[in-house]
Amino acid sequence: MVRPGDEGERNAKSDYINQMSQGPQEAYEAQESSAGVNQLADQDLVAEVLRKDRKATAEFVARCADHVYAYVRRRLIPRTDLVDDLVQEVFLAAWENLDKFRGDSPLRSWLLGIARHKVEDHYRKRLRELPFRDEGEDSSEEPASSLDLEETLAKRQAGQRTREILKMLPEKYALILLWRYWEKRSLRDIAVQIGRTEKSVERLLARARQQFKKRWNEQQS
Amino acid sequence: MNSNPENGDRLFELLAKQPEEAEPERAPSRLKAKLLTSLVQKQQESGPLRTLAETRANGYGLCVFEDLWERVTSAEGAQSFNCCSLCHARVLAEHWETAPIYWGHCPYAAFGKK
Repeated sequence: MVRPGDEGERNAKSDYINQMSQGPQEAYEAQESSAGVNQLADQDLVAEVLRKDRKATAEFVARCADHVYAYVRRRLIPRTDLVDDLVQEVFLAAWENLDKFRGDSPLRSWLLGIARHKVEDHYRKRLRELPFRDEGEDSSEEPASSLDLEETLAKRQAGQRTREILKMLPEKYALILLWRYWEKRSLRDIAVQIGRTEKSVERLLARARQQFKKRWNEQQS
Repeated sequence: MNSNPENGDRLFELLAKQPEEAEPERAPSRLKAKLLTSLVQKQQESGPLRTLAETRANGYGLCVFEDLWERVTSAEGAQSFNCCSLCHARVLAEHWETAPIYWGHCPYAAFGKK
């Protein structure tokens, strides 16, 4: 520990004065780069966070927040207004369960597992809340009007356009498509989770696919 | 586009396999600041934080205020005090993407660094 009068303190003071003479931004950069900011292994970092080390906790946030945020944002389309709250829930749940982290997988993957559960909770909750036209509707899919989707897929250019269309779709359609295909949940699973019949989920999914394809073709034309 | 639902499934399964953006979207630094604040608050609910002396001994740098606090206090309870809870840097960082914080070892400043 550096105490007043120590040689360490004098060195620290002289470093600080040198850094301040460079201007505040440069001083800041210099201090950060000379900080020897710990690049701890995941398990060591977790141990430090569990000991309630505030700086390790900051490192934990810095290390994982971008990945969790990107994942949650993509899965919450079009409700990006909810992303911050959900990311916060993920980190608080992570803190509650951090003692269970064994280091079998990278810390980021472990957090993404929690994020996945939180996103599924969101899908379940929203699909239960949203109005659900169920019976007597024609859910047959649009006949083939264009092969554009297959062509684009073949060229592997579909990612950006898919995200744009998911953002434009009504929320329930985006949710059901994401849950079924991106999260790879079965119709049966989804039906159980939201308290609907498998048939009605299938109809919703068919309408969602139809709307997606319609917008895809509209964008193309 | 095929009207067979199974083919519809296949197409969407392929769409879902499309590569994500190469660069993951960065979380806003404001969000990181809020995450840190809430995590530290949660940690405090179950007892004191690690002392500043232990944090320093662990290889982490202290900011100018933490450094000062560590020098002028000696009681362990005081050493566990979360200086950030009173610091304007935290408030700025929670509201601005690039908060004007120029001193070193402030985690809130680090979040704003691109």
